[in-house]
Amino acid sequence: MTTVLLVDDHPMIGAALEMLLRDTDYELLGRARSVADANSKLSKLKPDLVLLDVNLPDGSGLDVLRKLSRARSRPNVILLTAGMDDSQSLAAAELDPQGMVLKTSDPSLLTECIDTVAAGGRWIDPEIAQRTGQAQERAASAPPLTRRERELVELVRQGLRNRDIAAELGVTEGTVKVYLHAIFDKFRVGNRTELALRAADLISR
Amino acid sequence: MSLLQLTALQSLFRYQSGRVIALGRVMLGIMFMIAVAFDHSEPHLAIFRTYAMLTLYGAVAILLAAATWRDWWLDARLAVPAHLTDMTVFTVIVFSANGTTSPFFLFFILPLLSAAIRWSWRETAITATALILLFLIAGALIAGDHSFELERFVIRAGHLLNLSLLLIWFGVHQLRTRLFFHADDLDAELGHRENPLARALELAMTSVAARGGALIVGPTGEEPSDGYSINGEEARSYNVERPLVRNATHPSLLYDMAEDHVLTRRPDGHFRFLDASELVDREEALALGLREGLIAEVRTGTLHGWLVLWDIPEISTDYIDLGRELGRATGAILDRHALFTAIETGAAARTRLTLARDVHDSVIQFLAGTAIRLEAIKRAAKSGAAVEGDLDDLKRLLVEEQGELRGFVSALRRDREVDLAEAVAELRVLADRLSHQWSVECRVSANGETAAIPIRLQLDLQHLLREAVANAVRHGRAKRIDVALGVQDNHLQLDVADNGSGFSPSRPTVEPWSLKERVERAHGSLRLVSAPGATNISISLPLGAAA
Repeated sequence: MTTVLLVDDHPMIGAALEMLLRDTDYELLGRARSVADANSKLSKLKPDLVLLDVNLPDGSGLDVLRKLSRARSRPNVILLTAGMDDSQSLAAAELDPQGMVLKTSDPSLLTECIDTVAAGGRWIDPEIAQRTGQAQERAASAPPLTRRERELVELVRQGLRNRDIAAELGVTEGTVKVYLHAIFDKFRVGNRTELALRAADLISR
Repeated sequence: MSLLQLTALQSLFRYQSGRVIALGRVMLGIMFMIAVAFDHSEPHLAIFRTYAMLTLYGAVAILLAAATWRDWWLDARLAVPAHLTDMTVFTVIVFSANGTTSPFFLFFILPLLSAAIRWSWRETAITATALILLFLIAGALIAGDHSFELERFVIRAGHLLNLSLLLIWFGVHQLRTRLFFHADDLDAELGHRENPLARALELAMTSVAARGGALIVGPTGEEPSDGYSINGEEARSYNVERPLVRNATHPSLLYDMAEDHVLTRRPDGHFRFLDASELVDREEALALGLREGLIAEVRTGTLHGWLVLWDIPEISTDYIDLGRELGRATGAILDRHALFTAIETGAAARTRLTLARDVHDSVIQFLAGTAIRLEAIKRAAKSGAAVEGDLDDLKRLLVEEQGELRGFVSALRRDREVDLAEAVAELRVLADRLSHQWSVECRVSANGETAAIPIRLQLDLQHLLREAVANAVRHGRAKRIDVALGVQDNHLQLDVADNGSGFSPSRPTVEPWSLKERVERAHGSLRLVSAPGATNISISLPLGAAA
């Protein structure tokens, strides 16, 4: 029997997945509705498989996945999503979960994905694979970083706050913000964490 | 004098009343010295002291002028002390020189004029009263002197009184024509549902006590225009095909159709006498029933037109200037209304976008859940399990979701305002649904007031309730949530109390950022009070134009 933890805040999806797993070879250990909740339940319940929603009220399911990928023993993870933007797709591809399913796909694909991943395989929704490919192409065709931007991305990667970056570069905090947002737009990333994650890739180009 | 020199001179004294007063004081001081030097009959009392005082006064006047020439701060600071000095010198002069050639009058004029120029009619009145009193007191003190003549004294007092009244009247008059109303104060009164033409016209009519009026405006350079007229009790909107005034070179004019007179002012202030038939379209004038009154040009950013007023009691030539101000104020009201409408429309468009996103998120998730449920039911049926209960559940959920969708769609369609009662009813429906969804008891109470709620606020309310309930359940594991809605001081008051775990004193209170963000966008305020076992969120959202 495969133990499962469900991480999704939408009541309808939660209830539906509970029903889907009822009377199967899967045992639903519990359900988490937020990132914080998921982190605590993961360490407590130690499931074999996690069904993980990307958009959670207090953050991103990708943060949960990132934390898991650093852990020594990690459960298999299936990302559930109603749709991801470019930066989320790229981040998800980098984190490489065992499964990715669109909530809007035929539910039989979801069961197929769960079965495949539980058996040790990998299953990525063809539509997600296609969208990720497109996002990667778009990212690759983005203009290269300027010298200033490169410095800034490097400092963001080191985890510096805007104020410290401003001091380091000898500019005002406002200027740093303006630069950062220009970089966010240029590379379609949503926030500094995502930028830090993609920093190596961006700087090496 | 060349034109260049003239311009330089003009710029020396333009908008420089402080400078003009200081210079006037210097000239007065010098002139008086010269006058008494030539006139041996004055001063006849305290001669040495009078000369000494006059010399001192002249010196002070020169110093004052020099010090305040380019220093507006000092000019304002020294205005009152200098004014008091002028009045003191006046008293001394009355006291020491009251013969036939006494120059007291000049010293009376200076403080009075400077009060009128610098301040308002009130200060002018106070100065005049003080000066006349000082004149009478000084007169009483020297009544026994051989140079004192009662007859002359009374005539002079009469002159002073006349001149004072005239200057006070000018002050009041200036105030009336320039500042007869403040467009700013009207904003609060100007409801955005109201017809702006009607509102602007009513205000213009009130300000001159006109019994009839019309406001005709259209896109600049185009006909036809929209008209709105009020005649006694009767008001109507209509279309105007032809321009009422043929030549838009006079911003304000008085008309008398029966006498075929139009009176206006040239830019230099001189009167211009014209024939009404030259300027005013007779047919339009007849249609409006114009006899005698005021026509003022109205311009806004995009519109041009005319404000026409009639049946104005005691109409006079001053109304030409007043008309110009009225025309400007009317334009300002129309502009403000246009701006307000644009902001409202923008807000409504943004609301629709947010709503569209919400519909997308909620509906997509719901449909995805439904599909998964159906898949589960299909499987269960295949294995021979009973599925009727599951199907019933699904049917109920679908019906509920249908209600929610209908709410979304009607919100998209609706006009810009809803009644408070309607908003409360919708919040109750939402609370029921949220109770079911989150397994909590959520109740909405309202104090039965009536108010019109802008649609964006009503949507904000719904979002706030959704987020507040979700927070209370997720973070506080609340079982009961009480929501109270009311109106206070033109603010919508939403109080959400839950019996969740709350924040213990040892743990810092976590700001509900999503709620806060939404409240700030609506220019409202949020207060959170939490203790173990209870959390109260108090949200206040402005209902008025500022929102």
